[in-house]
Amino acid sequence: MRLVKLLALATALTALMASVAVAGPVFDRIQKDKKIRVGIMTDSIPGAFYNEKGEWGGFDYDMATEVAKRMGVEIERVQVNNKTRIALVQSGQIDLSVSNMTHTRERDKSVDFSLTYFFDGQKILAKKGQFKSVKDMVGKKIATMQGTTSEVNVRRALKEAGDPNAEANVISFQKESECFQALQNGRVAGWSTDASILVGYAAKTPGQFELVGDFLSDEPYGMAMPQDDSALRDAVNAAIQDMWKDGTYKKIYNKWYGPGTPFEMPLAGQIEIWP
Amino acid sequence: MIRYWLEKTWVQNAILISLAAFAIYYCGWVFDFGYEFKWSMLFTRNETYGVVMGAEILKGLANTVRISLISSVLALFLGTVLGLARLSLFRPLRATATSIIEFFRNTPLLIQLFFWYFAFPAILPENVRDVLFSGQFEFWCATMGLSIYTASFMAEVIRAGLQSIPKGLLEAAYSSGLSYFQVLRTIILPLAFRAIIPPLGSEFLNNMKNSSLAMVVGVAELTWQAQQVESLTFKGFEATSAATVLYLSLSLIISFILNGVNGRMRLDTTPARSVPVLVVGALLAPFGLIRRMFVRPVTRALRARRRAAAQTTYTPLAAMLHQLGGHAARAAILAGKGLFLAVLAGLFYSVGKGLLGFKWQVVFDNLRALLIWHFPNGRPDEMFLGLGGLSYSLLMAVIAISVSFFIGLAVGVGRSCSNRVFRIPCLLYIELIRGNPLIIVIFWVYFFIPVMFGTTLNVFWSATWALTAFTGAYIAEIVRTGIQNVPAGQVEAAYSTGLTYLQAMRRIVLPQALKQMIPAIVGQFIAIFKDTSLAFVLGVLELTFVAQGINNRLMIHPMEIYGTVAFFYFICCYSMSVFAARLERRLSPEKVSLRM
Repeated sequence: MRLVKLLALATALTALMASVAVAGPVFDRIQKDKKIRVGIMTDSIPGAFYNEKGEWGGFDYDMATEVAKRMGVEIERVQVNNKTRIALVQSGQIDLSVSNMTHTRERDKSVDFSLTYFFDGQKILAKKGQFKSVKDMVGKKIATMQGTTSEVNVRRALKEAGDPNAEANVISFQKESECFQALQNGRVAGWSTDASILVGYAAKTPGQFELVGDFLSDEPYGMAMPQDDSALRDAVNAAIQDMWKDGTYKKIYNKWYGPGTPFEMPLAGQIEIWP
Repeated sequence: MIRYWLEKTWVQNAILISLAAFAIYYCGWVFDFGYEFKWSMLFTRNETYGVVMGAEILKGLANTVRISLISSVLALFLGTVLGLARLSLFRPLRATATSIIEFFRNTPLLIQLFFWYFAFPAILPENVRDVLFSGQFEFWCATMGLSIYTASFMAEVIRAGLQSIPKGLLEAAYSSGLSYFQVLRTIILPLAFRAIIPPLGSEFLNNMKNSSLAMVVGVAELTWQAQQVESLTFKGFEATSAATVLYLSLSLIISFILNGVNGRMRLDTTPARSVPVLVVGALLAPFGLIRRMFVRPVTRALRARRRAAAQTTYTPLAAMLHQLGGHAARAAILAGKGLFLAVLAGLFYSVGKGLLGFKWQVVFDNLRALLIWHFPNGRPDEMFLGLGGLSYSLLMAVIAISVSFFIGLAVGVGRSCSNRVFRIPCLLYIELIRGNPLIIVIFWVYFFIPVMFGTTLNVFWSATWALTAFTGAYIAEIVRTGIQNVPAGQVEAAYSTGLTYLQAMRRIVLPQALKQMIPAIVGQFIAIFKDTSLAFVLGVLELTFVAQGINNRLMIHPMEIYGTVAFFYFICCYSMSVFAARLERRLSPEKVSLRM
């Protein structure tokens, strides 16, 4: 008899799980709970990182906080990295991913993106005075981070520059810090990713490393959201545009990339404003 | 009534089949995953990137196989050397071997790989480094790192095998005039290896699974490629499933071969003609043929010549030469010992100098973060009042071991029970989990459990549950062996006094089995504590991740930080393993230890 009861209980449990699995549109849920779950990186300087005191902060961190504020909801920050930032949006565990992510068409098949909120481009960081352009890097090893657009771009750029062995010459690591360490200990001749990240690392060891050549590609950053939730997309886009209009965007930008900061970078574009 | 029907095999089979059919029907047609499956992406050409994703994954498999094969051979060799050195009468050699083994056993492989790849080249001279970097440094770094790690585990297994050889056998061998190397080759190693094939086999399996960590140094092996496909196409479910299936098949193939080898080598029973034995026999047949055709005639000829030489008279000159040879050998051994000591002293000197040259201030500045992060002044979005670092790793390990103990107990009892309805699901769980690397289990729990159950799970809990599920399978196996070790007569006596299966388990078998299992469970706890370092892939704030964050910020002191982290892991694991050894000694009957 006990067994029968157990079986009945198991069936009931599975039925219960099935009913939980159905979720409503994301925007309605955010408004109802007054809470938005935002994925933010933890190891991207100065995008989002832990400082000396172990405090979380950075450009993306401030942007995410501001967007949530303007949507009038509380923010719940979730730590993500280059591997988890898209999968978590897909599986609905986060509602918004502000994690220096380039807006690409391939990614757009799986998640939706906001307006471009940051304008970046990919470059190569190398020891000072060794290389002039990408052509000089042919046959040399280059580090990238796995699961990023830079990985695909740098392979393509090397192939275009005439490297027959481009596939093997690009080594993909899991973290930015690992790429930089490989560059420091001489395993790779260059490290390629978005210029804003490279500038941050180059500032750690002033005078040793420099950016090589032109931009390999444009990297427009967008905030990722679950597919097909137009109300959420509108709300996020409106928040970004309002920030640009009233000068909050410039303030945040100057805090991290403005003149006098270690990561100084001129603002390269303008956020699209809808009247 | 139910029990009567459940004892019939066909009822058991019917229940299992209907359960499986229900699960397939439910997942396939009723349950909404909220995820668009696209299995075809594994076989068709992706237009954006111009590659077939399945082929990329297979390339990863080839790399995994290559790393596993090379590192297994190297580890077996290194492990044998270390195991022999561990029993040496020359104390400095013994101490060195012991410290090498203990160090590599008690620190996570992940930290070791980071060290070999990022920190080790920095202390090499420029030209050596250039030579290293001109080849496939990633591949060899991962392979060597892996083989040293596996070797330190094998060394202990091999030492146990060596010590299991009866002393009288050795004395007989020595007194019949065999030299040390002859005894080693013809008596010690063949017997020792026969005794330890099962535990050695599980080390080979672990080695294959640990090769998944090569991805942290940028080797494109199976896990790396699965991740790559996921990040290119965002079809993580399909990519990870493919990797899981491939890992499982690799594990099964390795187990199959090991079973065959075990069956062939066993002396105590008549050679069983099971399928694995026959297949391994067929695989080995060409080698046997070569040996019979080419090697044997040569050895036969050599032996004949030796015999002929022995029949000539033993001149005083030959006697003198023999004696001189003996002196020379003794002198060479002495010189070797001296050289070994000199090298050891040099190593100590340079390591000491290096340690003094480090900027330890960095470590002291960050010690608090490494130990407890910013407990108890955490921000509201942090768990446990901002706990992190070493204490977080310990917390994860404690939760995982406590919960998995009960899972392991239930599954282990189910696995040893004769009713198929319980045995086969338990068997599936154990083999499915044990056939895959922990990192794959972590990905499954993190990405797919929330999709299945429609809940959200933060990184801490998903890593902890993954560790729990993983350890549960291992503890189940420990429980099963514990149960098997209880004499069958006791169980039969229990049944005949009218106890049911569960009653017999609870009152007779488990109390005895659990006592024997305690050391193994402590060993499992050490393993799980080291494995918490893998949670760094999800960004859990445990020791490795915190260390990486700090290193990421400072950038210029990797040796100091990773050295400290390795030290922390070592202290925790080593003290636990000393505790486990003491427990084992107290709980098991006295063993005669034997030196060679």
